[in-house]
Amino acid sequence: MDFFAPVIDGFGTVLEPGNLLYCFIGVLVGMLVGVLPGLGPSATLAILLPLTFGLEPVTAIIMLAGIFYGAQYGGTITSVLLRLPGEASSVVTVFDGYQMAKQGRAGTALGVAAIGSFIGGTAAIIGLTFLAPLIASFALDFGPPEYAALALLGVTLVATISSGNKIKALIAAALGVFLAMVGRDVFTGTERFTFGNLSLGDGIDFVIVAMGLFGVGEILYNLEERHRASAPPKKVAHVWPTKNDLRRSSGAIGRGSVLGFLLGILPGGGATISSMAAYGVEKKIAKEPSRFGKGAIEGVAGPESANNAAATSSFIPLLSLGIPANATMAMMFGALLIQGITPGPLLVSDEPELFWGVVNSMYIGNILLLIMAIPLIGVFVKVLSVRPAILAPITVLITLIGAYTVKNSVFDLVLLVVFGLIGYLMKKTGFEPGPLVLAFVLAEMLESNVRRSLLLFEGHLAEVFTRPITVSLLALLVVVVVLPMVKTLLDRAKSTPVSKEEKGLHV
Amino acid sequence: MTVGAAAGGSTDLIARAVSEGASKELGQSMPVVNKPGANGALAANEVAAAAPDGYNIATLNASLITITPLAVGEDEAVSIDDFEVITGVSQDDYVLVANPDVGVKSLDDIKSSDSKLSFGTTGVGTGSQLAQSLLLAELGIDFTEVPFDSGAPAVTATLGNQVNLSTVQLGEAKPHIDAGKLVPIIVFSQERNKFLEDVPTAEEEGYDIPVSQYRAMVAPKGTPDDVVKKLEDSFKATFATEEYKKFNEQNLLTPHEVSGDEIAKEWSELADQYKKLVDEHKIDLSD
Repeated sequence: MDFFAPVIDGFGTVLEPGNLLYCFIGVLVGMLVGVLPGLGPSATLAILLPLTFGLEPVTAIIMLAGIFYGAQYGGTITSVLLRLPGEASSVVTVFDGYQMAKQGRAGTALGVAAIGSFIGGTAAIIGLTFLAPLIASFALDFGPPEYAALALLGVTLVATISSGNKIKALIAAALGVFLAMVGRDVFTGTERFTFGNLSLGDGIDFVIVAMGLFGVGEILYNLEERHRASAPPKKVAHVWPTKNDLRRSSGAIGRGSVLGFLLGILPGGGATISSMAAYGVEKKIAKEPSRFGKGAIEGVAGPESANNAAATSSFIPLLSLGIPANATMAMMFGALLIQGITPGPLLVSDEPELFWGVVNSMYIGNILLLIMAIPLIGVFVKVLSVRPAILAPITVLITLIGAYTVKNSVFDLVLLVVFGLIGYLMKKTGFEPGPLVLAFVLAEMLESNVRRSLLLFEGHLAEVFTRPITVSLLALLVVVVVLPMVKTLLDRAKSTPVSKEEKGLHV
Repeated sequence: MTVGAAAGGSTDLIARAVSEGASKELGQSMPVVNKPGANGALAANEVAAAAPDGYNIATLNASLITITPLAVGEDEAVSIDDFEVITGVSQDDYVLVANPDVGVKSLDDIKSSDSKLSFGTTGVGTGSQLAQSLLLAELGIDFTEVPFDSGAPAVTATLGNQVNLSTVQLGEAKPHIDAGKLVPIIVFSQERNKFLEDVPTAEEEGYDIPVSQYRAMVAPKGTPDDVVKKLEDSFKATFATEEYKKFNEQNLLTPHEVSGDEIAKEWSELADQYKKLVDEHKIDLSD
């Protein structure tokens, strides 16, 4: 039992009362700080990092794992309750999560998100325990052409994800692509659409766009709504998922976990794409896709399981290859370095105790998150019973503070307000901000990887065919685009009048 | 203390290590404020314009003064003359690494390689791009340059042989070099790096390309001399602590704790030298 001995030893260390206490503190503090929009897991880790300086390495890592999971879930709380996605991977949670909250089912949404996160996270840790070294090399096979194909697939999903008017969704997505162009060209250093303003040199931060469009836009819109009809105070019922809810979401959680685990291994954008893909899949296979965007529980369960599974599996390239897959992992990398641990290919063999300490602390962090989240949901949901006249200004204030903390930049606050106004106008005119935000995130990934690929291919596009993964992804893309068209054609060929329900299925 | 980079990066970690020590020395807290943007030009311009009372200081990267102006417009360039340099801090060396499957182990191998090799950089206007472009221009070979957003993706792409070689900061490549997943070719420093003693420098191989990421502590122009002196003393005291030395070791930083005047002189000279080399080889960093 050579393999299991260090694993079990690791658990022994992790379960010491002192370590458990630090994990508990980590989850709690992470959740509280993570609730502040704009402070995603990476910023939360950066702020709370000094708390771990004086601790033993293993204890410090356990606490960091707690902070990590807590902050991750904190973002979900704001997405559902206030329509404020703190990071790209929780944008899709907003679509149905916020709708559920509007229907008084916020507790259910948060409960299912917590359960989904727990299952997705735990499944990914088990995968990490057994498969880490095996699948790590998979990440290295992903070069610029593969990422370009993946981003293209993601852009296609944007079109399927939106629940409203397709043309309007595409217009919004085009605007998102345009906004992503702002800033210095990473290949030539040329300024694009910055109007000579240095503050725009690095482009517009995702957090500003998302919080402006979703958060501030929504608040402005609601202010106007209330003058027309005074909304009844929201009732907070059904804190616990019903049997029906659980039945509906169990499949979504399972599929989300697997998708998230696989895509999360890819450095760069894995968690975002996996949450989008999970949403897309749920909508595709649902019996009534029309429910999506109106509070479908699968629309919360799938993406939340996926993004947590992805967040966990992104530890695989870090721990087995020494590659930080995203900003959060880069913070973890820094935190481990401070503790004198260099994550990398040699970590497992050189320092098995630390390696398993890190992995096992994730199990504990995840379990503690579930134990703490469930009773706290009742407290969080109470936020919604606060009168809008009080809640709205506080939310705006939190949003502004959150936006400022991203770069300590006053210019960003101005941008936030501008995006708030755009979000308000979009809502008034029936445009959804979702496609805009997702296209914004994907456009950057798509552009730079297409250009990198062309450099590598020296302009010969045909070289794509020498790369099996790219070809498979592009084939999948063709299927996703063509299949619905073929279906529609077949239906027409049958010359039966297309009923409303079928239409919904095939769009 | 203002840092023109996001929390968690190497510049930020250095600023935090120094400020922690200095605040103990001075008996006054020295909070680190991150203002990322435009390679640090935003933060630098802000500190240059701040009140010169000793309460506004910044951690400055040499590349902003010496290399950035070569790649981007003049308006983004920052001049060392706008600052009182308090002290030098350390240097972070660049290393050219290859994927082992490429089969190159030295510059000669690169020169005699049959196939056209691809080289990753950590971005436009970085020391990585400058050092590598100059080297390859002097080698006179045909190559493909692929810029990445920062060091980590460049390292990843080299590990997967998506690009054959790349020039990155030592700290990012070291674990992979130790594990045999990357082959170090040369280091772009004047003297051999003590963390990679077996690897020759570019200068030893006959290429005079001294590019490192130097960092220094600066205050706005016009900060009184006695204030600068006091800050300098507190930094020097920090540099002498075991804790700080250990920090340098862990992060593979080579101390470069020379006086402010020397830094100002070195950086100006480097800026001139880079400009001359770039003109000589007709390299356009923004191409």
